Amino acid sequence: MSTRQELSHPRPSSSLDRLSPAWLETGRFAAAALAGALSPGSYNSATREVIQKQIYFTAWEVLPSFIAVVAFMSAVLIQIVGETARSFNLYGYALELVIRILVLEILPLTTALLVAVRTGAAINTEVALMKIHNELEALELVGVDPLRFELVPRVIGGTVAVLSLTALGSIIALGLAHLIIIDLQPWSLPPGDFTRAIGKVFSVSAMLILWCKTLAFGLAVTIIPIAEGLQTPKRLSFAPVAVRRGMVRLFLALMLIEVAALAVTYVI
Amino acid sequence: MADRDEQSRLIQSHPEAVLVSARLPLRANLTVLENVAVVLQFRRGADAQQALGSATDLLERVGLGHCSGWRDPDLGHEERFLAKLLRAVALAPPIILIDRPGRQLPDTHYPPFLDAKLSALEDRFAQCWIVDYEWNAPLYPRRG
Repeated sequence: MSTRQELSHPRPSSSLDRLSPAWLETGRFAAAALAGALSPGSYNSATREVIQKQIYFTAWEVLPSFIAVVAFMSAVLIQIVGETARSFNLYGYALELVIRILVLEILPLTTALLVAVRTGAAINTEVALMKIHNELEALELVGVDPLRFELVPRVIGGTVAVLSLTALGSIIALGLAHLIIIDLQPWSLPPGDFTRAIGKVFSVSAMLILWCKTLAFGLAVTIIPIAEGLQTPKRLSFAPVAVRRGMVRLFLALMLIEVAALAVTYVI
Repeated sequence: MADRDEQSRLIQSHPEAVLVSARLPLRANLTVLENVAVVLQFRRGADAQQALGSATDLLERVGLGHCSGWRDPDLGHEERFLAKLLRAVALAPPIILIDRPGRQLPDTHYPPFLDAKLSALEDRFAQCWIVDYEWNAPLYPRRG
């Protein structure tokens, strides 16, 4: 009865009261999901199938539009940076600038945001509805662990998809940078500059930070929506609230990861 | 017996029992066949082909083969109930517990329907308990 009253008339609470348990629950789920992902016992034919489906829906299905968006965005940015550098007589730095801005910063964040709005929102809704309709409990009662069957595979599939899309986006951007800055204007920079610029920008530490950041993006876009979905009270009217909260928290988390990576790269 | 606490006590005192209930739906994103097969994949470690094959056999035994590729919203009450029943018997549990069949089969004269379907699956469970209201007791003659 008290639960019912609380759901109908939630007690007033401070922002801290509202936020802390949600982040705490997300942390708990993240720990459980990572433990599950690292445990060989979590994998069977059913979980592998869910991982494949998640990668298909998150990366493969979106591939043509992703390539088009990344190519268009990269071409525009490369052209802007190239022209700006030329107007300041700094065309020699254009390539390095493009690689740093586009490949290390903008593309990983854009990919994570794209996956967040497309897949994160879908996962959040699905898990919230599964919780509301008792589907998770039903699976558990017939001996199917929902964490291993429904949740961990989504985290793995979503993370693999974000890593793959970021890698693909980086390759496309590098190809376009070569094409626009060197191939189309061969008098301005010799081809050897491209290799030198890549060697200079992609140091071991930069690569480490880039892939740690991308991994964190991948985990965030799946773990936060799932954790938020699992916290949904069992009432259909709470489903949109859960999705809205999940998306806002996911956006905050992605920004926080990006700022932390920037701080590690340029401040520390 | 419709009291939720009483039902919970009954289930807790018999953890080996598998429940078929209106409040435990099928997984909406899986087909009927997958809902049954996933239990075999998880609990028996069966590969996908084996599990789907065994699940298909079960579906055909209760005349549900035609809707193996359907999902929950496409199913009628009888089909949904049978899918849940098959999910419950997939592992051949010692006891299956059917919770208020009238609630799951609102348009069906359910005693003969249950009798026929349970007979078709007799080798898949040792006992079947049907939890229903006391005033429905005359509907259930003792099974031989």
